[in-house]
Amino acid sequence: MSHDHRPHPDHSSSRAPARMPHRSMLFIPASNAAMMSTAYIYGADAVMFDLEDGVALREKDSARLIAFHTLRSKLYAGVETVVRINPLDTPFGPADLEAAVRAGADVIRLPKTETAQDILELEERVAQIETECGRAPGSTRLMAAIESASGVVNAVAIATATPRLTSIALAGFDYVVDMRTTRGDGSELFYARCAVLHAARYAGISAYDVVFSNVDDEAGFLAEVEVIKRLGFDGKSLINPRQIDLLHNAYAPTQAELDRAHLVIDAADRAAREGLGVVSLGGKMIDAPIVEAARRTVRYADASGVRR
Amino acid sequence: MLEEIDLSTVTPGVDHTEMDAVAQFLASHDLDLDGDLDIILVARHFGELIGCAALAGGIVKCVAVAQHAQGLNLLPHLMTELSYIAHARGHAHLFVYTKPRYQDLFTSCGFHPIVAVPDQVVMMENTPRGIRGYTEDLRNYRRIRDKVGAVVLNANPFTKGHQHLLREAARDCDYLHVFVVAEDASYFPFTDRLALVRAGVAEMSERDHIHVHPGTTYVVSKATFPSYFLKDSGLVDMCATAVDLLIFREHIAPALGVTHRYVGTEPFCRVTRQYNTDMHYWLERRDLPPSFAAPVQVVEIPRVAAGDEPGSQAISATNVRRLLELGDLDQLRPLVPDPTFALLAAKYAPDAPPPPQRASTRPC
Amino acid sequence: MRIVRDSLAGTLESSDALVRVSPTDGGERDVSINSSVMAQFGTQITEVVQDTLDKMGVSQGQIVVEDKGALDCTLRARVQAAVLRACADEATGTTDASTSVDWSLL
Repeated sequence: MSHDHRPHPDHSSSRAPARMPHRSMLFIPASNAAMMSTAYIYGADAVMFDLEDGVALREKDSARLIAFHTLRSKLYAGVETVVRINPLDTPFGPADLEAAVRAGADVIRLPKTETAQDILELEERVAQIETECGRAPGSTRLMAAIESASGVVNAVAIATATPRLTSIALAGFDYVVDMRTTRGDGSELFYARCAVLHAARYAGISAYDVVFSNVDDEAGFLAEVEVIKRLGFDGKSLINPRQIDLLHNAYAPTQAELDRAHLVIDAADRAAREGLGVVSLGGKMIDAPIVEAARRTVRYADASGVRR
Repeated sequence: MLEEIDLSTVTPGVDHTEMDAVAQFLASHDLDLDGDLDIILVARHFGELIGCAALAGGIVKCVAVAQHAQGLNLLPHLMTELSYIAHARGHAHLFVYTKPRYQDLFTSCGFHPIVAVPDQVVMMENTPRGIRGYTEDLRNYRRIRDKVGAVVLNANPFTKGHQHLLREAARDCDYLHVFVVAEDASYFPFTDRLALVRAGVAEMSERDHIHVHPGTTYVVSKATFPSYFLKDSGLVDMCATAVDLLIFREHIAPALGVTHRYVGTEPFCRVTRQYNTDMHYWLERRDLPPSFAAPVQVVEIPRVAAGDEPGSQAISATNVRRLLELGDLDQLRPLVPDPTFALLAAKYAPDAPPPPQRASTRPC
Repeated sequence: MRIVRDSLAGTLESSDALVRVSPTDGGERDVSINSSVMAQFGTQITEVVQDTLDKMGVSQGQIVVEDKGALDCTLRARVQAAVLRACADEATGTTDASTSVDWSLL
């Protein structure tokens, strides 16, 4: 697999969604009409309408239609919409994709991505549907879900397969089965998390960590969030709306961090106005990565305030 | 909360431990576990049984929800799942019997009342068009006459006794509607029974003012005979016939303008005799609430005897079947109209291959 | 589309609708709607159901909708799912219409 077409990790490029926080992606089984009608109110950065494992075989067709009409209704106008389709080699996958692209989903999430080829095949189909239905070519973004050893090993190739791919997500359940282990203290995911995260950073795209399934274990959830935040993940996949606020709060800067970020940005802006190069603040050099980190801190504060 | 509820199905006769648990749960709700269930849907919350609903054919039975789970919207959850299970088993049209105080709960699950036995039971179905659609169709066969009669027959098979009943009834009224029970629970399949009645009527001189209707699930069917949720057994029999008879009085008779229902006297079968007695009660009684339809007069017509000499036995379908099994076609011949004999000899006699599937012989 | 078998879609849960479709021997399309919010939204619900059936070209059959306060998009989806499950696909001649859908009609 060639890496020559590595995208420039240029945050000022046209890939605007990368600038939006990708802290929380809330899973909603598309067969659940009540959740589909209300989940936009919870304030997740993204919602994922699930057509795959969260939907019983009997409901695949009906869930696809619910996702289609919910997307068209613009209920989720202010939220990034992700549709997890069934794998393209199932009887459901192609129809799921057709429905999701036509209805205007922001992102198509491909489950069980093993190779870059999987993404290229998906891209080809997406491009074709865009042409057929009159959707702006290239406007459908892609997300790869890594759920196996093969996906982890090929993470870099997958992450750089196409500029349409704007995020990558690690899915823990199938992965630990593939690795002949079970979910535990997180050490079982350590390599996969690092591999996926490095691939994402190399490609300049977002990275989502696995779901934390015990919704009643708040302390356990926060401990895991602390780990993945430290590793550098943009955020997590969530299965319960109650986890959104916990997660956002954990990612929110403290008041001190926010104050410091404003100082950095003000200094940088002032320097830019005055045509200066590298500036310093309180005796410390302020270079581009520090300014970018400060801008990210402000964005997170804009999204959900300062940490409580 | 609903996400934490596990639904599973139990097949009677397979999982005895689970059946015992269901029986115990039903007993705590004053309900019996019926013997004729095909499948039971069970709801559990962290292992605790909190609700169940079962199917016997297209009839929803044994529905109970634990008191502390009633705020959970569990009944719609159970009824949704049960609808899909029933649908997969070929039953799109569902019926339920419930106590009048639960009528609203089932209404909110998409059930519509067919008939209510005051203070006892409401029979409901899962479509607003069921009985209403049926009676709209029936109206096409309405004849405006002073005295319109009706007879409901199983005709298992059609005998000269039945022919006599129809002749007497047709002579007594201006127009006669004959319904042939559609339920395939008899020795002879419905298609054969209906064909025999039509053929038997066709050779009668009164045929021009007799119309033979194929029965439906609303006329003496498994669906119109409940027996599961009322513990007092005397009440069970009463309500069992009451629902069927009140459907006739409330829906079928008004649609066709029926004023009289004819029935043969019943010397043999206790069930049928009870049905005749109940017929007088439910069709003729005038003390029902004013919302009930007008009474229908019940006329019992004595059975015709097999022979001319006094004391000879009345003709019965039961006897015809017995003679048929014995292969005694000579004795059988005078008891049935020619078309019936022709069919029996050709298709059902011991040497006529292949023999039909033997089913329950009720009702007589 | 031609309705050839009984079908069912949706649920009786709040914010959803249970839709039943049955074939009929000729006659007009027969739609019955019952809703927990009929008083406020009856007209709109009826319009959505009828419009959905019109667009799918359903001219016969019995359609029963038990609505539990579903949004228009949910109602549309459940009616379409029930109809697709009840239909033969005339274009492909297959018995299952639900896998080969003309999305522009939906």
